Amino acid sequence: MSEIKYIERDPLYVVAPSTVSQTTKRAGKIIVWSSFLLMVVIAIIQTLHSNERISFGFSNWRPVLYAYILWAVAIGYSRVLIYGERGKRNLFVFPAVMFIISIVIFPLLFGLYISFTDWNLSSIDGRKFNGLDNFYQMISDPYYWNALKNMIYYVLAVLVEFTIAFLLAILLNSQIRGRKFFRIAFLIPLMLSPVAVSWMVGKSMLEQRFGPVASFARWLGWDTPTFFSNPVIAKLTMMCMDAWTFIPLMIIMLLAGLQALPKEVLEAAKVDGANKWTLFKNIIFPIMLPVSLTTLVIRIIFKLKLADIIIIVTAGGPGGATDSVTSFIVREYRDRSNVGYGTLLSFVYLIFIVILMTILIRFVNRWLQRAS
Amino acid sequence: MKKSLYDYALKHGINRRSFVKGAASAGAIAAMSGGLSSIATSSFADGHSELRKAILKIPGVGAGSPGDADWQKVGEMCLGGTKERVKEGEFKGVELNFMGLDSLNLHNMLHRGFLKPWEKYTGAKINWIDLAQADYNARLQQSIATGTVDFDILQAGAPFEGDLGGKKLLSAMPDWVADQIDLGDYVGYLQAPTGTWDGVTHRISIDGDCHNFNYRTDYFENEELAAAWKAEGHSGNWEVPTTWQKVTEVTNFLKGKQHAGFPAYGYLDVQKGWGGFGFYFLGSIATAYAKHPDSPAFLFEPDTMKPMVNNPAWVRAIQDVLDRSGAQPPDQINADPGVTGFSQFLAGTGSMVSWWGDVGSNANTSDESLVQGNVGFDILPGSDDVYNWQTGKWETLASGPNYAPNMAYIGWGLYCMKTVDENSAKNKAAWSACSHIGGKDLSLWMSMYPSGFQPYRNSHFNVDEWVGAGYTEAFASDYLASEADSYNHPNAAIEPRIPGIFQYYSIAEDELSKIFAGQYDAQTGADNIAAAWDKITDQIGRESQIKLYKGSLGL
Repeated sequence: MSEIKYIERDPLYVVAPSTVSQTTKRAGKIIVWSSFLLMVVIAIIQTLHSNERISFGFSNWRPVLYAYILWAVAIGYSRVLIYGERGKRNLFVFPAVMFIISIVIFPLLFGLYISFTDWNLSSIDGRKFNGLDNFYQMISDPYYWNALKNMIYYVLAVLVEFTIAFLLAILLNSQIRGRKFFRIAFLIPLMLSPVAVSWMVGKSMLEQRFGPVASFARWLGWDTPTFFSNPVIAKLTMMCMDAWTFIPLMIIMLLAGLQALPKEVLEAAKVDGANKWTLFKNIIFPIMLPVSLTTLVIRIIFKLKLADIIIIVTAGGPGGATDSVTSFIVREYRDRSNVGYGTLLSFVYLIFIVILMTILIRFVNRWLQRAS
Repeated sequence: MKKSLYDYALKHGINRRSFVKGAASAGAIAAMSGGLSSIATSSFADGHSELRKAILKIPGVGAGSPGDADWQKVGEMCLGGTKERVKEGEFKGVELNFMGLDSLNLHNMLHRGFLKPWEKYTGAKINWIDLAQADYNARLQQSIATGTVDFDILQAGAPFEGDLGGKKLLSAMPDWVADQIDLGDYVGYLQAPTGTWDGVTHRISIDGDCHNFNYRTDYFENEELAAAWKAEGHSGNWEVPTTWQKVTEVTNFLKGKQHAGFPAYGYLDVQKGWGGFGFYFLGSIATAYAKHPDSPAFLFEPDTMKPMVNNPAWVRAIQDVLDRSGAQPPDQINADPGVTGFSQFLAGTGSMVSWWGDVGSNANTSDESLVQGNVGFDILPGSDDVYNWQTGKWETLASGPNYAPNMAYIGWGLYCMKTVDENSAKNKAAWSACSHIGGKDLSLWMSMYPSGFQPYRNSHFNVDEWVGAGYTEAFASDYLASEADSYNHPNAAIEPRIPGIFQYYSIAEDELSKIFAGQYDAQTGADNIAAAWDKITDQIGRESQIKLYKGSLGL
């Protein structure tokens, strides 16, 4: 009964007094600063030791990690000591903040630093700061610009994919026989890993001698059906394989939108004598616009990351015709161990994607506002 | 083999193919102390002959591809060396991480089977890290550069010794290991300095790599093709070409013709990259033009590391590929070395291909081979003239065409990392595991069956043992001669063991792809490769590269 009274008196259930003594505050500050100092000292010792400036040190960097964890715990504890109840509330957010700093912010900053270094894994001298040299190299790198140019074609192909996906979504939304079967069947390509798609489709079905697609093409009269020898055909084939995998994703999203269409509006339009085309043009498509644009934006983001099937099927060839920015970065980073340059290329591409997506989303929002 | 012995053999009329042919050649070879036959004979006399005969019948040539049960059985039977040096259960509690390849379902797949009985006997446990061929270089380089060596045993090629040895990551081979594996049995070019760094031995060889020349015998016995060859006015008989000039002529001759009811194709040129490994295939053409007998260098000029890849010899090799491109099977531009060797040549497409010894060891033992009984072997073709990079002139040698077999990759080996030196039990366990795989008897089995490894010991070249396993004498003699003659060739092109070698190959693959796609001519493309190579050399450190390069050339 006494507990109930306590809660009635203080709905927020204050478990500690909000007033904190100066001594406790000082203790909190001492704890956090001493743990920080400890971490800095250990980090400096380990840095000097690994650079062979001093003889003593640790055999690995784990002590620095432990000091960082200790510092993180000390911050949390000191928040309570310094701010009392407010500090306790902060503790609910604190782990998430530390997690983001440790897993996202720190690696991002470290990556940014690496992108301004000359770091070839085979170099005995290791990593060297080289300012903007990597950026200048990128400016004059024909492979990077070729890959960016290819990405324009790949992204434009999304419009064709969207059209096909929309038609299929309408089909699956209508009362056709075996609708449930087709809905599942259309999803199968999306469930396959890109590696499986590359081998099953790219290296088996499209194989020039015995692949069923090649045999069919021969039956149609194409003497030597090769899908990856000609730059244009290779690019188109790659687009088709990627589309085959990701059109189902677009179908799911569009189908969800179609099923949420207000039935009464559609029925009213039918009663007013609208034919199927008018219904689509004036009712379905405008109402579906927000879903369609979201689908397009998500698909473009996926498309900008296109790499796996290219790496496995063509390795970017013939002559870079199918190369994507990501597959080029993988070659630069993985095959040539050029970590500094590869990281810079990744950062520039990230910035490029962020800018592109921001412009696209703003454009979409304005368009939607105008449409509404 | 010493050059004097090689010359002696040739002088006495022993040609490449008859060199290791059973009894007839044995008498001649026996006269040469240290020759192949004497070692082969001793292998029979050392008490292992019965064991060797028994393991070679598992599963038997012609009985289909061996599988895990076969590998385990062979591993079990070859435990003798281990049992002599290790007590049962001696390594209980020891765990080892083994990093190797899983390409073509070979390599580590076999190692697992071979080491299962070893694990059972010794009590040690092995954790496996399997890598695809294309991922191998990156994974290894990252581990080396970031100091995150999370493996105790590494399957690696000698070209990586520059990266591993240069950073002092390798454990030194104990003396008992050299004794168990019979180090002295290795063919000459796998002896020190290969496998050593700063004079210390680190490697147990499990492979001996060179590219040899594989051809379809039925093509060159085809009378219709022979008649057409004559009718078209080609010089010489319809026969296996022995120079690249003739290879191009034969390849272009076959364009549009039929063989056994299918389109006929000549030499299969690799035109697609393979994580750097594709560059070896251009090298196998270029060495005949670029590797002059007076100098061991053919990739870089030793004093400056100036790339040779854009000199007239290499450009001619690139031009050869372009000249044959119109006569290649459709989609050849998208065929990497794996596809070219296995999905094309062994599946019956094309009449000539350069590859490692796997084509030979798979031709009659793999379920996927469609060319059983129709494959012949030789060393890589030569060239009527050779470019002397020191004088900048083409020369015609008095001895005839210039041959320079490409010792591409110098073979896989097993290396124990420094991590095993943390205690004596781990060190002994790691070296024991490697010795088991690299043992004399087990390695013979690997060289005969699909494994990803080819013959590399003098004792592997005993034709009788191959015949005992089920090979025909003609096939075994032919195949082994192509391997032995490549290894022992006085003008063999031996790859430099310098850090980052695959970076050079990788960027070259990118540029070659553009050349083969017709984006620029051979010289322009070669100049681009040279510029990129110079950049890599500067990035890694020109002075240290020159020092290591000269060291690896023995200069």
